[in-house]
Amino acid sequence: MLSTQEVTNRWQIVYRRFLERSFNILIPLGAILAAFLISSTLVIARGANPLTAYAALFAGAFGSTNALANTVTRMVPIIMTGLAVTYGYRSGFFNIGAEGQLFMGAMATTWMGITLVGWPAWLLIPTCLLAGALAGSLWALIPGYLKARRGFNEVLTTLLLNYITIQLFEFLIRVDHVVGPGATFLSWIGLKDPSQPFPKSAYIAEAARMPSLTSVITWLGGTTEDPALQRFTLAAVIAVLAAVVIYILLFKTTTGYRARAVGVNPRAAQYMGINVMRTTITTALISGALAGMAGSLEIMGFQHRVIQNFLVGAGYDGIPVALIGQLNPLGVLLSALFFGALRAGANRMQIVSGAPVSIIYVIQSLAILFAIAGTVIDLRPRRLKQAEIEEAKRVEAELAAESPSAPAADMLGEEVRHV
Amino acid sequence: MESLLRLEKICKSFPGVVANDHVDLEILPGEIHALLGENGAGKTTLMNCVYGVYRPDSGTIYWKGQPVEIHQARDAIALGIGMVHQHFMLVPPLTVAENIILGLPSPREPLLDLKSASRQIRELAERYGLPIEPDVPIWQLPVGVQQRVEILKALYRQAELLILDEPTAVLTPGEVEELFKVLRAFKEKGLSIIFISHKLEEVMSISDRITVMRAGKVVDTLPASRTNPRELARMMVGREVFLQIEKPPCTPGEVVLELEDVRAQSDRDLPALKGISFQVRAGEILGIAGVDGNGQTELAEVIAGLRRVTDGRIRVLGKDITNCMPKEIIDMGVAFVPPDRQHMGLLMNFTVSENLIGKSFDRPPFSKYGFLQKQAIENFCAGAIYRCDIRTPHAHVPVKLLSGGNQQKVVLARELSLQPRLLIAAQPTRGLDVGATEYIRRQMVEARNAGTAILLISTELDEVLSLSDRIAVMYEGEIMGIVPAEEADLQQIGLWMAGSRAYQAAETPQTV
Repeated sequence: MLSTQEVTNRWQIVYRRFLERSFNILIPLGAILAAFLISSTLVIARGANPLTAYAALFAGAFGSTNALANTVTRMVPIIMTGLAVTYGYRSGFFNIGAEGQLFMGAMATTWMGITLVGWPAWLLIPTCLLAGALAGSLWALIPGYLKARRGFNEVLTTLLLNYITIQLFEFLIRVDHVVGPGATFLSWIGLKDPSQPFPKSAYIAEAARMPSLTSVITWLGGTTEDPALQRFTLAAVIAVLAAVVIYILLFKTTTGYRARAVGVNPRAAQYMGINVMRTTITTALISGALAGMAGSLEIMGFQHRVIQNFLVGAGYDGIPVALIGQLNPLGVLLSALFFGALRAGANRMQIVSGAPVSIIYVIQSLAILFAIAGTVIDLRPRRLKQAEIEEAKRVEAELAAESPSAPAADMLGEEVRHV
Repeated sequence: MESLLRLEKICKSFPGVVANDHVDLEILPGEIHALLGENGAGKTTLMNCVYGVYRPDSGTIYWKGQPVEIHQARDAIALGIGMVHQHFMLVPPLTVAENIILGLPSPREPLLDLKSASRQIRELAERYGLPIEPDVPIWQLPVGVQQRVEILKALYRQAELLILDEPTAVLTPGEVEELFKVLRAFKEKGLSIIFISHKLEEVMSISDRITVMRAGKVVDTLPASRTNPRELARMMVGREVFLQIEKPPCTPGEVVLELEDVRAQSDRDLPALKGISFQVRAGEILGIAGVDGNGQTELAEVIAGLRRVTDGRIRVLGKDITNCMPKEIIDMGVAFVPPDRQHMGLLMNFTVSENLIGKSFDRPPFSKYGFLQKQAIENFCAGAIYRCDIRTPHAHVPVKLLSGGNQQKVVLARELSLQPRLLIAAQPTRGLDVGATEYIRRQMVEARNAGTAILLISTELDEVLSLSDRIAVMYEGEIMGIVPAEEADLQQIGLWMAGSRAYQAAETPQTV
């Protein structure tokens, strides 16, 4: 029942809800600021001026179209892997395998791009992207199935699959890609450019590459001299769109409701009629597709071929990106920007100020620590907190009164101290 | 004879509950003394006061005639009191010997001396007839042997008084026999034993004297030779008044739920349901009474599709739902208020409104083409919060911040919003204050008046007696009997709850 007092409190409620929501953004921002602040002591210890260093870092990340292009290029794959980790984590599927799924996606996309030469762009671009997403999700289906049906720990299975993927990749980029007459199955799935002695694939067809700002300007009849514009491609737009889609999927659809319910408490979710096995498998498929697309976008947007060590660590980076982003798809955009900018600006910082590149890893790690610490900050009014504490006390007393197992800790406590 | 332990006017209360109310108790050397009572009668609390887990609010404990202060378990152990808890305090990966010496100073500090410990344990085990292998890790041992380790732990610390909290609850019948043999041997060696139980037959067969507790008070202490199960049952459950809820006479309709020889295993893979058969009709409340842990939770879970039925059939409105998915059973019109709202009934990190639509979020009007319909959800939740008087600042508060009573209202509001044909309510008022309890009970009666079939599972006998149209008693996975509420005989129900079928209602026509 809504009493008069509660009506007058309504504005407070609106204000509080605004505060609660903006908190998703405030925590990562605060964490990043604190990380910069504390890392400046290290910069000073190296005899450099932190203001100069950070200014150079900023200039290196955003100071020119070229710098900006660097930042965007580094952002795209970690947005996707960050989303993959976020979606999985929200549903209790801790996907450490984004790295492997990314490689699978990159291989599938490259294969399409070097095989389906002659297809028109409007058909080839979606095909390549889809192939990458499919490869990633099928690769994640293995740990997903094992977790859902057999109770295998997905952290182990996804992690181990990464090594298998890397070996598969190393193998396939050494097998000549031959199609048509004289092709064996092995040469058919091989990725290496037969005309080259090095372990790398041929460039994918022009029609498979993501359109860039340069091509848009040319199409509009203009001309541009800036080569950096070629690196602003549709891939970045797709990555940002993916974040929005995953946000809607998680919070506005029944699929997302199921996923989050299973993530919070699988037993309660099952009781509510949610099929936990099916949800886990769906989650694995979605998470894997996002990671696979990270590989596709990297190939189609920037590198246009696979080569040894073409993109190492982006899958693992998805984990801190997701954590700093508070496991919120929109937060992932922010933290991916932070990661991208740090890496893009690091060299310039070292050249200008003398602060070593490795400072950025300190900043990065501190930001992760602060972001995790930030989740325990409690904005709720004291009255609510007090009520929660009292409720906890009451429940404890109740349990103590009816069950003999509750005071177990007390009982061992005093004895164990002397061991 | 001078008493070993004497309790004088022990009081202990928790917020809202008086667990022990001026309890007097005397334990003689070399006797087996049973402490008998229902769940929540205060037996375990009293023993925890003796063992130093709780400090009594008032009252005195005398040990061998001297008043003593027991602040913690260590004090009790130093005096010579040992306690074996219902849930064992053992470290599974460690061996028997390691567990037994855990917490004791070693003769070769800082090094352990496992060899001499093992030897002493073997000697001790032999002396008391408790065969044990000291070097086997705990996890490899069956429950009965683990209990033996717990007892040895107390003996190793030179206990003169052994407190056993529901020692037979976890044992198979064969293991119970073994245990009783050991306890009798202890008695001969001069040890005293306090045996906490609610099983009449066991208490009769093992103890010298019996103290019956009810609602935190001692009813009486009697020698076992001068009493009988019937008298004990009456003392255990006998009450003069209980909450009566006004309800119109029952007009049962069609059979909604039907169980036929249903069997299922517990989490520990022991038989939990051993051939359960009953029916619940539309517009009636069938109450299932019984002491906790006799298969009630498993019964609710098999009907809701959350536990596999190994044999037998379950039908809802004539349709077989045995081992169907929970979702199909919900769609058949079966609502379920689970016994554990924190871990099953609610998603504690989800908001009130997300929990309210927990079972219907994927149905219209809440979902359209797979998208959640914000407006429809808001409207529904505002209505439910208003109707059920759920006290919350707004619908988007995480449900874990609500009080227990309001959390349970959220569960009940959700379940009743499904307009169920059958409502399974397991421990629906556990841990709630009087107001919330009253509210929840009235809601159930209203649902029953509207034609819902209700299966009420509760360990609170008062609740079953005041709400049910028919009463069944469950004991060790079996239905001991079903009687119409107006013919319910407290002695009969008490005997059933304690696992005895011997008594016939016709003998003494004492009805409620």
